[in-house]
Formats: sequence, structure tokens, C-alpha cells
Amino acid sequence: MAKETDDRTQRRGGWVPYGLLSPGVVWLALFFLVPLLTLVRVSLSTQESRFEQKFSFTWEFKNYSDVLSEFGDIFLRSFGYAGIATVLCIAIGYPMAYFIAFRGGRYRNLLLGLVVVPFFTSYLVRTIAWVSIMGDEGPFLDLIRALALDGALDGIGITDNGRLLATEWAVIGGLTYNFLPFMVLPIYVSLEKIDVALVEAAKDLYSGAARSFRKVTLPMSLPGVFAGTLLTFIPASGDFINAEFLGGPKNTMIGNVVQQQFLVQNRYTSAAAISLILMVIITAGVLVYAKVLGTEDLT
Amino acid sequence: MRRNLSRRQFIGRGAAFAGAVALGPTILAACGGDDDDDAAGGSGGGGGNSLHVDSWPLYLDEESAALFEEQTGISLTYTTVVNDNNEYFATIQPSLSSGDKVDADIFVLTGWMAKRLIDLGWVDELPIADVPNAKNLVDSLVNPAWDPTGKFSLPWQSGLTGIAYNRAAAGRELMSVEDLFDPEFRGKIGFLLEMNDSLGLVLRADGVDPENVTFEQAGPAFDRVEAAVADGQIRQFTGNDYQDDLIAGNFVACVSWSGDVGQLALDEPDLAFVIPDEGGMIWSDTMLMPKGTENIEAVAEWMNFCYDPVNAARIAAYVGFLSPVQGVQEELRKSEDTAALADSEVMFPPPTADVLAFNPNLDEEERALFDDRWAEITTG
Repeated sequence: MAKETDDRTQRRGGWVPYGLLSPGVVWLALFFLVPLLTLVRVSLSTQESRFEQKFSFTWEFKNYSDVLSEFGDIFLRSFGYAGIATVLCIAIGYPMAYFIAFRGGRYRNLLLGLVVVPFFTSYLVRTIAWVSIMGDEGPFLDLIRALALDGALDGIGITDNGRLLATEWAVIGGLTYNFLPFMVLPIYVSLEKIDVALVEAAKDLYSGAARSFRKVTLPMSLPGVFAGTLLTFIPASGDFINAEFLGGPKNTMIGNVVQQQFLVQNRYTSAAAISLILMVIITAGVLVYAKVLGTEDLT
Repeated sequence: MRRNLSRRQFIGRGAAFAGAVALGPTILAACGGDDDDDAAGGSGGGGGNSLHVDSWPLYLDEESAALFEEQTGISLTYTTVVNDNNEYFATIQPSLSSGDKVDADIFVLTGWMAKRLIDLGWVDELPIADVPNAKNLVDSLVNPAWDPTGKFSLPWQSGLTGIAYNRAAAGRELMSVEDLFDPEFRGKIGFLLEMNDSLGLVLRADGVDPENVTFEQAGPAFDRVEAAVADGQIRQFTGNDYQDDLIAGNFVACVSWSGDVGQLALDEPDLAFVIPDEGGMIWSDTMLMPKGTENIEAVAEWMNFCYDPVNAARIAAYVGFLSPVQGVQEELRKSEDTAALADSEVMFPPPTADVLAFNPNLDEEERALFDDRWAEITTG
């Protein structure tokens, strides 16, 4: 296949692939690379006054150590929330995708449509809707109280003193809800590609349902889980909307800090350093994750 | 945490939106953001016959805006983009710090921020000589601490900071700042993100004079707020959206601004606003003219219009805060509809009212210490 492509490319002239690439490359250079370099520069600069955007580039690595010591716990909290939300997304999303792919039958497209429907309203509106639904006097807690489950939820730490909003579970719940479709869709795609004959073959070879799932279906769907995890974990780690609306002052995520540092405190150098640390940690995490799970099949 | 959807925004009931619609396409366009502002301002741009004002939500009634345009022939672009002093500052800072002009001819910011802008030299002297009605400024706001010469700023409205609470939910009358720290209300208490207001009240409870407070003296009050966050007493730091939480029953009590609760109480009679026994806070928002403003004549016309007692009374009746214009109380008394407002202790606090301003003389270095400590507490 690769050879064929090479041949064709040569016939049409070597510039074609570059020509095709150039819009993307120019776009990325202008709107990703240049801003990224600016960010690196600002993160290593000193800001003379917080009222002016004058930076002198001084290799100020102290910016990094400062924000790490100041906001280290918030970094951990963000990755913790995003990690739990991702696991919950897999736990909820995998069975959903499995059901749609293998049991959906003629309703498959309808079911997939239902997964995507919430995307027709804005992210912000969906999150703010949760504020009403989960409010202290809102329908969800009304139901919980009617079922006399409020004591139990308090007991296991889901609610705090009978409230759900302004708790960590509200933020994690919001993240899970908002990113669930990003998990379901890629898993669905990878499950849907599986040749049912392979599963049948496993069963013919005396594998039980659980074993054939573990040995055949699950490994073949891992690329979907991998893609879904990236699509969920990365944006969830940097998210600030859920913490802003559903969390309290003890549930701040790193995205809120970046927003605060850039747009309220005018501390550009700190904000840039935090953003880059976040980027580096996520990239490193993804590389490790890719190494462990393997990406050859990831398409 | 829910930040900066702040003061006077979202006064519930969609009134802001309704107001914007009624004010017509100019203001709607103006609400949309920078690009739209340009488009709207462009109608009379540079000709001296237009005026662009950036202010807070629900701070001007539509009738006054229309009347101003009618009487002066000046096309008014009035936006409500100011939701938070610091956030607005961050939007104008890039232009003003590099000597460029901003879209607004006038912006309305709180006294401490006015001081910063005056000190930075980012605002021009107002054309006070062309504002004959400026003589109506109440005595207490002549040459205020943030602008000792009185040349750079003209107050828009003042307000009080106290406690708003839901009588039914609290089960009793709340009279004290200490009630905000009552474990009975754990997780049901809101504080304002605006440090001067929230910290100010706690300082008063601690018996520290907020007008002269130093960073060191504020230490115990900061610690107290921090502890209340840590043990879950304070549920949330909010801007003006505290009103939503009060109505939804998420807050039993919160630090709040005086004008808002009066409007909310019309629909929710259980809501009350009190100046706590330990005393409350007072603040002023003030009009400023950014450096390089060209529509100076229009600026003078606008200020003169707003300082006319009849117009000022109409605006005061709508916003419910403290008008800085003399004669407003008398004007309100003249009409049956507004006579009750003239007796409102929230709009016209008696001279004995125990309210103090937050230290207006902090230099920027010390202010930064306050800001950083406050940010540390509010962002957990």
C-alpha cells in the first residue's frame, strides 16, 4: 500500500503532498506554534508590573517552581477529578456503546443520535441546567429525600450535609456527563468494526461469553477506549466550566486558576507557566499511556 | 467556584435582557462583545455626536437612555460589559498601558479601581467646567479619597454592603455578621467575590476599622474566612449571581449589595437585607474618562444629564442604590409611584447608619498583598 502511494506521488510530482499539507501546516504554524512559543517566552519572563504587559525575557525558571508550589494541590485535584470522570465515562460508556453496537439492531442510528443530542445545546447551558437540577431545593435532591436516601448519600460522601452542588462529586458528575459522548462514540466505532464471526469462532472453541469478551471483543475495542480516554481526560483536566458552576471554593480546577491568573490577577507569567506545565504533564501522560496500551491500531 | 458573574448581573427575572431588548438594536449589538461594540459605535464614530459608555448590568433605565438621545441628539452606545472591576481592567489594560485608546468614552468602575487608573495616568481630567449640574454632587462625595482633586471622576451610584437572607429558611431574624459563621447554616452561606465587601464585613465583626486597615491587621479576618471555607461553612464566592442562589434556596444568607435585594423582595417577601449590628460597608462606583477620549462634549452632556435631579431620580428609582445627586429624594417624593422609595433607608440611609468604606488609601503594593491573599482563599 505504502509503495503504491509513493509511486503515484512520484508520477504526479513531488510537490503534491506538500501542497496538500501546506494549509494545515500554515494554520498550525500561525495559530499553534507561534502562540505556543510566545507562551514559552512569557512563562520564562518577568513582568515588571501587573498593570502592564511588558515582559523581559530572563530565563525565569522560578515562575515554574512558584506556581508548582502554589498550585500543586490544584494540579493534583484536576487530574484526580478528570481521572475519576474518565473512569466513570468508561464504566458508563462502554456498556452503552456495546449495547448500541451489538444489540441496537435497527435502532442503532436512533440510539447513536440520542447520545449526540445533548450536543445540540451549548456546553455552558447543559452545565448551568445541572445547577437547577441539582440545587438544594431542586428535583434531584427532592427525589432523594422522598426516597429517604439523603442520609445514605451523606454517609458515603456523595452529598455534603444534604447538598450536592459545591461538592467534588458535583464537579466530577458534571465532567462525566459532559464528556460521556466523547467516550461512547469512539468505543462504538471500534466495537462496530469487530467481525461477529470472530466472537462466534471463540465460542466455537469453547470460550464462554465472559472469556470471549475478554480475549476477543475487549482487545479489539481497546483502540476505541484509548481514543475515548484521550478525548475525555485531556479536555476534562483543563476544564473550568464545571468547577465554576458546580463546584465550591474547595473544588477549583487548574483551568479556573489559569483563567483567574490571566484575566483577573493579570499575572501573565504565572498563567503561562501553569498552562505549559499542564500541557507537558498531559503530553507525558499520553505518551506513557500510549506505550502501555499500544497505538498501532489507533486509527 | 462560580466567579465574576458579578455585581448587578442576572438580577433574576431576565430583567436585564428585557431591558436590553427594549433599548433597541444599539444596545443589543453593544452587549454582544467587542466586534459588535465597534459596529454599534461606528454609527456616529469620531464625529463628536456619539457616546460610548461601559457600565454594569441594570444600572440605567431605558427611558433615561432614550430621553438623553432625544434631548441631545447624541447617539448613545451603552453597554453592560462591566461585570467585575478586575476583569474589566484586564480587558482595557493592553490598550491603555501601551497608550492606545479604548472604545469607551466613559466607564463606570468602583472607587478603589478609579484610584488605580488615576494613579496609572490612564484616565483624562473630566470636562467638569462644562457640567453645570456637577454642583449637585452630594457633599460626602466631593473630592473623595480615591480622587482627592475631584478632577478625574464623578460618582455614578453608591451602595451599601450588608447581609441578605431568607427569613423562612433561617427561621429567625439575622442581625449579625456572626450569623454568617453560625454552624447551623453550614454550606448555606455565600460571600461576595469582591474582597472589599466580604472582608470588610468580617473586619467590622472583628472590630477592625476597614477604612484604615493594613494587611497585617486584616490577617485574622483573612484567616477566619479561610477557615470558614475549609470547614464548608462558606459554600460559594459569587458575583451578582448570589441572587439566584438565594432564590433557589441554596443560600440561607449571604453578603450582598443593598439595591438588589429590594428588587428581589418584591417577588420573594421572605428575603431581607440588613446592615449588621457590627456595621456595614459603603462603596461608590464612579464615571471615568479613559485617556485619549475624543467625544469630550458628549461626555459633558451625558454627565450633565445624569446629574440633573429629575433624571437622577428616575435612574435611582430603577437601580435602587444610593444616588450621588442632591435633590433626588425630593424628586422621588413628588410622584406617588416613587414616594415610598424616598423613605427607603437602603436608598437614603440615615446619617446615623454605621457604614464605612474599605481603605481607599492602600497603595498598589499593599493592595496586591490583599488581592493575592484573597485569591488564595477564594480559589481554594
